[in-house]
Amino acid sequence: MGNFIFKRSLQSVLSLALLIILVFFLARFTGSPADLYLPLDATEEMRDQFNQRFGFDDPVYVQFFRFLGGLLQFDLGESIQYSKPAVEVVLQAFPTTLMLAAITMPIVIAVAIVTGSLAAFRPGGLFDRIASLISLIGASTPNFWVAIVGVIVFAVWLRVLPTSGTGTPWHWVLPVAVLCLRPTGVLVQVVRSSMITALSSAYVKTARAKGVRARAIVFVHALRNALLPVITVASDQAAGIVNGAVIVETVFGFPGIGKLMIDSVLLRDFAVIQAAVLVTALAVFIINIVVDITYALVDPRIRHS
Amino acid sequence: MRSSIHASGTAEMARPAQATPSALRDIVSSLLRDKVALVSAAFLAIVLVCVALGPTLLADQARAMNLMQRNAAPFSFDRPWLYILGADALGRSVLARIIVASQNTILIAGTAVLTSLVVGGALGLVAGFKEGAVSAILLRLADAIMSFPSLLLAVIVLFVFEPGVANVILVLAISRVPIFLRTVRAEVLELKERLFVTSARAMGASTWRILFRHVAPMVLPTVINLAALEMAFVMLVESGLSFLGIGIQPPEITWGLMVSDGRNYIGSAWWVAFWPGLVIMLVTMSLNLFSNWLRVVTDPVERWRLQTSAE
Amino acid sequence: MNAFRKTALGLSTALFLSPMPAAMAQSGDAVTIVLPGGPDRLDPCETPRSVIGRIIKQNVVETLVELDYAKQTTIPRLAESWEQTSPTTWRFNLRKGVKFHDGTPFDAASVVYSLERTLDPKLTCITRTKYFGGVDITARAIDENTVEFMTKTPMPILPTLLAQLAIASAKTPKGEYTTEPIGTGPYDFVSWTQGENVKIKRFDGYWGEKPKIEDATYVWRSESSVAAAMVETGEADLAFSIAPQDATNPETDKVYPNSDSAMFRLSADIPPLNDIRVRKALNLAIDRKAFLGSVISDKAELATQQVGPSVLGHNPNLVPWPYDPEQAKALLAEAKAAGVPVDTEIRMIGRPGMFANSNEFVEAAAEMLRAVGFKIKLDNLEMTQWLEAANKPFAAGRQANALLTMHDNNSGDAQFTAFFKYHSDGRQSEIHDAKVDKLITDAGMASGEERAKLYQETFRYIYEDLVADAPLFHMVNYMRVGKRIDFTPTIANAVELQLAKLVVKSPS
Repeated sequence: MGNFIFKRSLQSVLSLALLIILVFFLARFTGSPADLYLPLDATEEMRDQFNQRFGFDDPVYVQFFRFLGGLLQFDLGESIQYSKPAVEVVLQAFPTTLMLAAITMPIVIAVAIVTGSLAAFRPGGLFDRIASLISLIGASTPNFWVAIVGVIVFAVWLRVLPTSGTGTPWHWVLPVAVLCLRPTGVLVQVVRSSMITALSSAYVKTARAKGVRARAIVFVHALRNALLPVITVASDQAAGIVNGAVIVETVFGFPGIGKLMIDSVLLRDFAVIQAAVLVTALAVFIINIVVDITYALVDPRIRHS
Repeated sequence: MRSSIHASGTAEMARPAQATPSALRDIVSSLLRDKVALVSAAFLAIVLVCVALGPTLLADQARAMNLMQRNAAPFSFDRPWLYILGADALGRSVLARIIVASQNTILIAGTAVLTSLVVGGALGLVAGFKEGAVSAILLRLADAIMSFPSLLLAVIVLFVFEPGVANVILVLAISRVPIFLRTVRAEVLELKERLFVTSARAMGASTWRILFRHVAPMVLPTVINLAALEMAFVMLVESGLSFLGIGIQPPEITWGLMVSDGRNYIGSAWWVAFWPGLVIMLVTMSLNLFSNWLRVVTDPVERWRLQTSAE
Repeated sequence: MNAFRKTALGLSTALFLSPMPAAMAQSGDAVTIVLPGGPDRLDPCETPRSVIGRIIKQNVVETLVELDYAKQTTIPRLAESWEQTSPTTWRFNLRKGVKFHDGTPFDAASVVYSLERTLDPKLTCITRTKYFGGVDITARAIDENTVEFMTKTPMPILPTLLAQLAIASAKTPKGEYTTEPIGTGPYDFVSWTQGENVKIKRFDGYWGEKPKIEDATYVWRSESSVAAAMVETGEADLAFSIAPQDATNPETDKVYPNSDSAMFRLSADIPPLNDIRVRKALNLAIDRKAFLGSVISDKAELATQQVGPSVLGHNPNLVPWPYDPEQAKALLAEAKAAGVPVDTEIRMIGRPGMFANSNEFVEAAAEMLRAVGFKIKLDNLEMTQWLEAANKPFAAGRQANALLTMHDNNSGDAQFTAFFKYHSDGRQSEIHDAKVDKLITDAGMASGEERAKLYQETFRYIYEDLVADAPLFHMVNYMRVGKRIDFTPTIANAVELQLAKLVVKSPS
């Protein structure tokens, strides 16, 4: 087992390295930040000075090695827009997004497992149809649309929730609700699907035939069996939450990492892009490893792949 | 958004090979019996007609501006029927635009999903069947792409390359490849331990033959289900790109572009973003319901399962 | 990870204890202001940028001179009076008994320090680059309360220029940006939480009249509908800028000119736009009036030049282009007959979010041009790419283009526009015309009546004789002012919002 964890972590480091290389070089091809930050009538000299200050005057590979060197000392460079260390900027924004994800995912999983299992009990039944319909709507509605409609309905018309911003727990209700929508929609489908399979599998049938009276027992047995794909998809949706966070944080004025990333790309703040990608990717890889370990504990076949 | 929906759930099921051609008649009659599937199929057929004919018939109407009837409300009967769904911010018919946009939208989303399905599927087969260095690298690469928000990846790539239909498709396809790769690999890992594969191997069939003749068809139903959900996601990401101004450029139209155009008017003219959003939703739903049905009829095990559990 | 734990703790314990949001209304002397975007730094030398100026200019940091936009004159602020002692020297008498928030006295030395800090090339202070670029200026303290400014060439509008120079405490570090501005203003900087808010509070040692509002919190929402909703629900008192379609309540939503002028800059060197008939046709083909009251606010004005009516040098005698597609077609046909390649594709370059509904605007304008026979390719570029297209050096072999730009001149003088946009050496100039160059140079040296006349002639010549570009609109902003506040915005609010001018109505 220890060997497996070690191997898995090593693989993650490899993925992380690939990602960093990818982002580093791609970002640098998006154009020079000098024009954005320098005045319109900047002289050549001012440009040189600017590029020198942030090290953009060196060839890209030199910049890359300098970046690697800094990485070893946990120094990811200076943010151009905030004029302070990129790590500091990113770590200030990260907790908000982590918090959003940490509240969202348990809700998503709980709702999806309950709804999906109930739907699987009678495939094609009324509850199944309604649940499928709603989950598909959830999975195919644009986030920003729901977010703005949510503000109009709940904050302006009904006046039961604040429009935006942080502060009280009430401020988190709308953003979390919007963020839950899509992953819940997808996960309900997955739970339903694998529960149908599990409920019709041989051993559950045997259990039924043997006269295990309580349906609940069958249910629990089946659920345990159906959980593996659910865990996989759930971990994946957790990683995808950053996508949703970009929109949610923009609309609701949340100081999170999603909005920070997109702003940094628009403002060519390379150091912040790199730091933000590194931090989110680390979080995602930790989730992945935890999921893989759970997986391997349950299903020994995975350990060998 | 990955789903290995049936990855391990079907573990103990032995699945027979494909449906025989004689079953085709059964399929059609089963479609006629299943109302939900029938309605989905009919809706998809209408969309396909719009895709084929929309731009030829309504291109001019979709572009005709009339600033006087900017954001004209829907269901007003004193305007021509084309304005039944209202007008957008430049006074253009929302209905005509939805119909014309269907071509670009379906083409872009379809091509992107199909590309990622084919590429991801093929790589997934390889990664599942051939363990070792190749498989490891493919999986690490997939991990790398997936741990990075796809919207952000698209933004960066489209800043580097000019935003155009081809590049948008490419970016969307690349960001979705890992999902298909992982799903297919998970299925293959299971299938290859099965009896029919081991026996085919024992009989001396080549790896490629086993992969494409025996394994691929078994993976297909799951992949099609997944592709249906992916269509929605791709359309929504494309909408996000349009919102950032790096998606499809006007005068080309897509549903995603229409939704993002209407976003500024959600409070004052809800219909501008609502109708194209509704169409995206309906297409997703139809594809999903239709693919569910398709899965059931093409996979006897599923059909049997449905029958037994619905007792 | 402290913030995380704090939030978690707060959430778990407070969810059921916290009051309903309806109770979150504002208390008497505190206001919340919603801006469209948050600041990236709060440096006094960056006050001409509206994201910073709106928060700190004249609230936290003050200037020697203040502009009176309505009368096009300058009024004293930290300086009591000034005089021009020679063509190249000015003497300013400073207000006495003024203290910075950190307790240090405001004196001649602090003015010299602020100028030096702003001119330091280590920082790209916008005050220096936008207003003091190319101005060789130095300052020296004559005595504690007198400063002398010396310029190499005559600078007749020096007081106007100094209305942009915010005076900061000598404790503000040189050569690096500060995030904690220290000034002399009626408000003291309290805190800035990245991505969340900026807070300032009333400064009790202020030299002038004490403002009524005690605390102010600035937040930012990029979504106009959300910003508007915040004021409507009472969560905020004032939304700085909302989109025209969100300004639905005439009681709270007030319009003000924002000193921005939009135009299509034309690449007048590249065929087919190198032909004046083609440029005239382009102007005639855009139905500017149809945009007013639809995509653009009905309060915006048709433009004939790059500066608005409140700027010295604006020419009021120019007549906006009519909408005449027939004449446009005729001109194009004429040009085509003369061998101009009018079928060549022209790139129309926009930028999302340049102004409210700017995407719709370019899309519609492109259609209008196509309708008379232009071949238009529309490209909406993000900032970096747009700047590459807008600024010199222009890419070699670039395509003919019509570039949408929006220029703001809130300095009150045409100088900051004319050189930059039209002089051969201007960074965003497409034209190189000896007569234009001379007019601009002469106008820069002149003062008063003469100066205005020369700039007016410059704009006339560019508009009528050269038809160098396609001026569009002088834009307006909508501000939503909550019912608790009594305030009418003016053009000055393009870059500042003096909290002292907000009147809080007595609670009902």
